[in-house]
Amino acid sequence: MPIRRVALVWFLGALIPCLAWADNPLVVEAALDREVAAPLLDAFEEAHPHIQLNFRDRSTLEVDARVADEESPPDVVISSAMPWQMARVNEDYAQRLESPEARAWPEWAKWRDEVFGFTFEPIVMAYRLDLSRYVMPPKTHADLHTLLTQHRETLRDKVTTYSPSRSGVGYTLFQQDARYTTRFWDLVAAMGATDTNLEANTRSMLEGLSEGRYWLGYNLLGSYAMVWAQSHPEVFVQVPQDYSLVMMRMAFIHRDAPHPGAARAFLDFLLGREGQRVIAGETPLFSVRSDVMGPYTAQRLRDQVGERLYPIPLNASLLAFVDPSRRAAFMERWQREFQRLSQPEPSQGEPSAESHIDKGPQR
Amino acid sequence: MRLLVIEDDPLIARSLDQALTPLGNIVEVFTHHAQAREALQSGHFDLVLLDLGLPDGNGLTLLAELRQRGDTTPVLILTARDGIDDRVEGLDLGADDYLAKPFSLAELEARVRALLRRSQQRVDNRLAFGALTFDATSGVATLYEQVLDLPRRELLLLEGLMLHAGSITPREALENRLFGYGDVGPNALEVYISRLRKRLEGSGLRIRTFRGLGYRLEEVSS
Amino acid sequence: MIEVEGTLKSRLAIWLLATVSALGVLLLAEAYFSSQRAAERAYDSQLEAAALTIAEAVQWEAGQPVVEIPSAALQILATRHQERVFYAVLDADGQTVSGNLDLDIAPEWRRRASSQPIWLNDAYHGTQWRLYGRELDSAGWETQDPVQIWVGHTMTGRESLTEVLFEHAVTRFVIMVLLAGVLMLLAMRVALAPLRRLRQQLRRRDADDMQPLDTRVPEEMREMAETLDSLFTRQRQGREALLRFTADASHQLKTPLAGLQTTSELALKSDSPDAWRQALVEVHGSAERTSRLASQLLSMARLRHAVEANATARIDALALLHETAFDWAQRDAAQAHDIGLASLPASPQYIQGEAWALRELLGNLIDNALRYTPPGSVITLGVVSHAQTLELYIEDDGPGVSPEVMAHLHHPFERGGRQDTEGSGLGLAIVDSIVRRHEARMQVESAEKGGLRVRLFFPYLTQHEQG
Repeated sequence: MPIRRVALVWFLGALIPCLAWADNPLVVEAALDREVAAPLLDAFEEAHPHIQLNFRDRSTLEVDARVADEESPPDVVISSAMPWQMARVNEDYAQRLESPEARAWPEWAKWRDEVFGFTFEPIVMAYRLDLSRYVMPPKTHADLHTLLTQHRETLRDKVTTYSPSRSGVGYTLFQQDARYTTRFWDLVAAMGATDTNLEANTRSMLEGLSEGRYWLGYNLLGSYAMVWAQSHPEVFVQVPQDYSLVMMRMAFIHRDAPHPGAARAFLDFLLGREGQRVIAGETPLFSVRSDVMGPYTAQRLRDQVGERLYPIPLNASLLAFVDPSRRAAFMERWQREFQRLSQPEPSQGEPSAESHIDKGPQR
Repeated sequence: MRLLVIEDDPLIARSLDQALTPLGNIVEVFTHHAQAREALQSGHFDLVLLDLGLPDGNGLTLLAELRQRGDTTPVLILTARDGIDDRVEGLDLGADDYLAKPFSLAELEARVRALLRRSQQRVDNRLAFGALTFDATSGVATLYEQVLDLPRRELLLLEGLMLHAGSITPREALENRLFGYGDVGPNALEVYISRLRKRLEGSGLRIRTFRGLGYRLEEVSS
Repeated sequence: MIEVEGTLKSRLAIWLLATVSALGVLLLAEAYFSSQRAAERAYDSQLEAAALTIAEAVQWEAGQPVVEIPSAALQILATRHQERVFYAVLDADGQTVSGNLDLDIAPEWRRRASSQPIWLNDAYHGTQWRLYGRELDSAGWETQDPVQIWVGHTMTGRESLTEVLFEHAVTRFVIMVLLAGVLMLLAMRVALAPLRRLRQQLRRRDADDMQPLDTRVPEEMREMAETLDSLFTRQRQGREALLRFTADASHQLKTPLAGLQTTSELALKSDSPDAWRQALVEVHGSAERTSRLASQLLSMARLRHAVEANATARIDALALLHETAFDWAQRDAAQAHDIGLASLPASPQYIQGEAWALRELLGNLIDNALRYTPPGSVITLGVVSHAQTLELYIEDDGPGVSPEVMAHLHHPFERGGRQDTEGSGLGLAIVDSIVRRHEARMQVESAEKGGLRVRLFFPYLTQHEQG
């Protein structure tokens, strides 16, 4: 398939003489660690030597801002901030991908054949070996709540999770948590009571765990955490036993992509057997396709964890998460709940941390 | 004169033979078209009497063949079918006259004589009726071998009557002959007729008037 | 002449096809629009539901409307066709409380939505959107200002539902047409069964069988069956008349033939040449009469026979009269009479007719005149032009006939009350027949000079027909 695509690409190049194919660039704006994605990008460049890949690793918010850049729009947009990606697609910033790969992609991992979730990433808890010396490490969300309530003093300042205001991913995860149960807010209050540290990304949380600053982390990206745990034996990863959220990295071709041919080639690669094989075998990201083999496949994860995986649905309901007033209301409640139990003796760190919460929509 | 009779009814055939031979003719009778066709191809006849209803085919076919060959031998059609369509078709095909059965021998003889006269005229350009003769080449008419000294119009009139002698000459034909196609008074022709009548008095010939139809030069005895 | 022109089946099929096609176009157009309406209704109700779900979430805090957009509302809006979605909650001043696209809600729309919910189509960024707006009266502690909720989505689902519904309608229609066609064929077989039955019955009939039909036919075929019956009746009558006529004719011919036989028999028994001669004279005369009778019978039969189609033509009556008179004047039989033409009009006079029959007609009249007048009589033919009709007449200066006899003159085999002259009396009957065939009128009267005058009045050809 790649060879045929190259042939087609060559053919198109011959048709358009002014377009020098050899230096045909492809701009990918991605909220995806370059080192994590490196094997994938290498494999693509190998398969399409004539496409000069320009991979720009940015934060989710930066990526989102680049989409609306009318001067130099990117070709492909990749982000794990699912609601924002969804909103951009709804705003007609994506173009439809008509290819066998796109058609064969599972319904639950795509929307309008315009945006595709190409990775499958479980959300996990992680704890430091130290924790198990004092308490039973939590296996479920309820365990976590009990732990935080019963060992409030022991765990004070030792717990970490995403900041909903500074991380689109974190915000999305909490929104999704809140959708499943109202007891989530008790968990937030309990986290607030233990002066939980709010981080902007999973890497910071993992670093804190390894350094011993944190004993327990909640809502980490499983892909990163599992790789980390392999090289850091003091960190243990726990896939929640009651339910485990699953996040997807979403990619779409920009409506005004300057290099649509290359962009289509890139997306087809991501969705194709080869790209998915690289994702499953050479990156910590889990592949979506069920027909590839490797340590990191959705199927293997399901086999391990059972049916308790709850992928964040890739549909219009995500759009509600980026609604400004809903977001404001959510953030307001988060703040209220976070401070509820610590009100009598307000902690020092948190209010200052939450003062960063930006009220406006994140675009 | 040599006459060819094509007739399959033996009674009629014999009557024709007996009636026409005494007039100085040689009569040959055939009862089939095939024989008659051969006879016509091999020999000369002055008149053909043709019966249309013969067992071996339609007489009209034979007539058509004859005329196609350019043979102008006069043909008198005899038939029991007196349908006008047959008659018209026969005349169209080049028959010279038509007689429906049953017919009286007298009528037959008259028709035959007229046809033979015409046939003769075709041969030597000479007309003869009773004691009267007319030579069309020289324009000389004789009565009892005496040259008749006639003015031009009377001569034309005589020729016209003699051409149809024994039968009626249409009045229009005579008028055209004498006066051309111009308008002419109703009595103009009558004037010349009465002059000619006077000249023929005592010749055994007379001119009979058919009101509105024409005139006939006939022998007094008939 | 039977000309086969298509089949009933193909004729019906063509009609069916034509009507079905015309009807089909209408039906399919209707089906398309109703599919569109159905899809519209189905999806509009989703817009309505989404708007209601959002309305449920509107609350008032400190005199300001706040809304926490429910995810469910957006999922309802997106439908399973994954439409792109739009929503906006506007306060009483038209300010956006919450919303997701910069799709402008025109003041005019807001005004209309304030009285009742509205649906409308709008193009946004080159795509057609279906929008729904409704006003929500809300009760709060401080204010009761209404808010407007607007929702919308793209129209992929509507289009594909319309397509699906339309396809179903088309499929149903095609199946219906095919079924109707098959049923039509079956119905035709059933409906045409009486026709087949009649055909078989007619085919089985003997040529001589003129009995009325004995069959069951549907009402529509009654007329045809009755026509057939009446045709059989007429044929039967015609045949009976022909038989009667043939019998009469045979009788008529037998009489003179019997005379011939006895005369010749007597002559053969005799030794006297005078007796032979006398007999031969009688035989000759009788033969002549018999052949005339035969030809008249033939004419009569021909006249009674069915009229040949379109045998009539435009005929110049003057030429015909001239020709016939000329023909007769030359005949032997006419030599003792003075046959002639009165002076004729200068221009041709046209009538419609059959030339042979008209010649026969005039010939018979001339023949009659020759036979029933003494030698030397004057017979004159002429033409008089009247306003409406053209009169052909023939008159003689013979003895004439009495008025009583005149009324019976044209019955066959009647001889005008005279037994003295020869003739069968068929002549005037033939004349009468031909006159009726030409829609002409015949008048027989006494001539001024004492003889008989027969006048025939023919309808003129109209100017148009002459042209």
